[in-house]
Amino acid sequence: MGRRRAIDGVGVSAQGTAGSRAFAPLAHRDDLEKFRAEVRAWLEAVVPEGWFARSAGASDADYLAFQRWWLSELQKVGFATPHWPKDWGGEELSLRHQVIVSEEMVRANAPSPDLYVVSLYHLPATLFAHGSPAQRERYLKGVTERGEIWCQGFSEPNAGSDLASLRTRAEKRGGAYVVNGQKVWSSFAANASYCLLLARTDPNTPKKQAGISYFILDMKAPGVTVRPIKQMTGQSEFCEIFLDNVEVPAENLIGAENAGWMIAQSTLSAERGLIIFDLAERMHAAFEREIAAARVAKPRWWSDDALRRTFVQQFAELQSLRQLIRRMLEELESNAEAGASSLPPLIKIKWSELLRRHTEFWLAATGLETQKYAPPLTGGGHVTGNRMQDFMWSYSWTIAGGANEIIKTLIAERVLGLPR
Amino acid sequence: MSGVDDLDDLRASFRDVLADAAAAGDIRRHVNEGASRCESLWRKAAELGWFALLTPEIHGGLGLGRAAAAVLYEEMGRVTAPLPVLGALAATEIVAAFGDGAQCSEWLPRLAAGESATFAADAEDADLIDGDQASLLLARQSGGPWMLGAPVAVERIELFDRTRSLARARLDSAASKLAGSPERIARTLRIHANMALACDSVGGAKAVLEETIQYLKTREQFGKPVGSFQALKHRCAEHKVAVAAAEALLASAVARWDCDDVDADLYAMLVKALACDMYAAVATDAVQLHGGIGFTWEHDCHLYLKRAKLNQTLFGSAAVQWDGAARLMVSA
Repeated sequence: MGRRRAIDGVGVSAQGTAGSRAFAPLAHRDDLEKFRAEVRAWLEAVVPEGWFARSAGASDADYLAFQRWWLSELQKVGFATPHWPKDWGGEELSLRHQVIVSEEMVRANAPSPDLYVVSLYHLPATLFAHGSPAQRERYLKGVTERGEIWCQGFSEPNAGSDLASLRTRAEKRGGAYVVNGQKVWSSFAANASYCLLLARTDPNTPKKQAGISYFILDMKAPGVTVRPIKQMTGQSEFCEIFLDNVEVPAENLIGAENAGWMIAQSTLSAERGLIIFDLAERMHAAFEREIAAARVAKPRWWSDDALRRTFVQQFAELQSLRQLIRRMLEELESNAEAGASSLPPLIKIKWSELLRRHTEFWLAATGLETQKYAPPLTGGGHVTGNRMQDFMWSYSWTIAGGANEIIKTLIAERVLGLPR
Repeated sequence: MSGVDDLDDLRASFRDVLADAAAAGDIRRHVNEGASRCESLWRKAAELGWFALLTPEIHGGLGLGRAAAAVLYEEMGRVTAPLPVLGALAATEIVAAFGDGAQCSEWLPRLAAGESATFAADAEDADLIDGDQASLLLARQSGGPWMLGAPVAVERIELFDRTRSLARARLDSAASKLAGSPERIARTLRIHANMALACDSVGGAKAVLEETIQYLKTREQFGKPVGSFQALKHRCAEHKVAVAAAEALLASAVARWDCDDVDADLYAMLVKALACDMYAAVATDAVQLHGGIGFTWEHDCHLYLKRAKLNQTLFGSAAVQWDGAARLMVSA
């Protein structure tokens, strides 16, 4: 219902856009100032007034429709796949330009295309490096031309932090692999057309990483069952995927057989960078709004010394994080293959722990009021203003993408050189 | 000169000299003897023009930007250098910016040559950094103008941290008035003091963490290096994250300080609180991670620990900084 009203609003806004003028920010890519101005003008015209508040309690169908609409708007100006090569419908936009787009999105409080994260980042990062020409032709165009939604099938009930011990089995029989097993924590799998799947093709290797292969799984194939998992927030973004004698054609193998673990590293490295930049900038914008409001009238918690100091300290920590992220983006820009950077794991820890403490701060500052149930808001980053929901969602950053405890061990061993 | 490459060269030259002084036992001897100044290191620093970094060239200085001073403070922090640079450079900045012709020509060449100076941040501030050998004192009567002159009735205050010292003193009757807005002078001094300690803290924390990690790689118990135990690894990783974050915030605060940005004061407060608390946490845990050896006088851990705890409280604790920053954030 909330979402439907948002969609109605969108219809009006879209008409307005067409009626006023066409926007083409990319036509100004040679002049960064003009480029930014055009991005800003486009966002002012296209982002529906009040979409964020109206998204509270939206149904799944409304959420899907809204995300589809937003993807199509992004596509109209080339901002769905700005980081892709031109041959594949992208714009080969420099990181500097992408940062500007992201900054303007944050400024306009524009929606994020959350439903398409795997489609827009993980899939291309995997296929550009390891896919066959036919796979790229079929599946990248599936995203750009048909808006196909992808999910990721990595984790299993008994392979979380220890992902390499995954047991989903893929046995080659003739021209196909027969897959049996179970995957879990797959975001938006219930809506996905395809899945990036890791499965074991050789159970007898001495090193467990060496027997894993990487597949494209058609979610409509017989034997695939998806069951949404209800989360502590009440939402069901994550799903379980059950695989019962699913036939995956051999042409859907990505790269060589048993090379899946190495290929998965490309997929995972797609996550850092602009996504976390966007989230940190959104948190900064939320801080700025609070500070601007406090200039006009101090909120009650401002006079509490401990709370006010915590707020300022977290503001300082956020500024340190934003600097770290910018430094990482600069490293990426000067060397796209920057596998040697030690910054991504440090940033992951800093961001996730700050997010946990900052969302806790808001619970402390707002008291019983934010314990009263309010329907969740989706698609607006991690400081949505639904304080209890924001707090609960902070676990997604301390657990997903390698639990923080795993990342800390990785920092100790790979960055600091401590012995195994 | 404030290009990145030039600053890197400058950093390398500071580091070489300070590492040599540490290796030659100068710093350790100074700490053991409890002397008021590390003469050998001070002479070397004066000779190399470290006290003349911020002095305008027409007064015989190097005329470098504040970013160069930031590099010196960070490198001094790495070795807990017992050098009275903070008072001297802060006074140099004030006299050069606000002094009249006579004040500049009287004081700037002397400070550039290595004479010490100190300042009282406000009327109640009785504990003067680098004050025991100072030739120059900057002080302000409550609500009045800033005065500068020779300190008299100087009384040295020994600290647990023997790499720094404080003093009590008052201005002699021949002190002269500094023109310029008293509030602007106070702001300039406050930023300088906060930035100096933030830089020192980042340098010290990096060094003591590196040393600790080296120790954990070599110290064996239960038949393996203690650095292979996860409980210790995770603490080191957490310290590494905190050091990197403080270092990143420091870089942005230094850039603001260097160009006298409107937010320089705010960021100096933020990074002073963040970096000094981070240093104290790392240095505190460094002793624990070393075990018994870290508790000895012979080991350097306590030099870092004492300097970190002093940095944390000198020129206002984190709570004072957060409160100051809060006022600035909502005043604009």
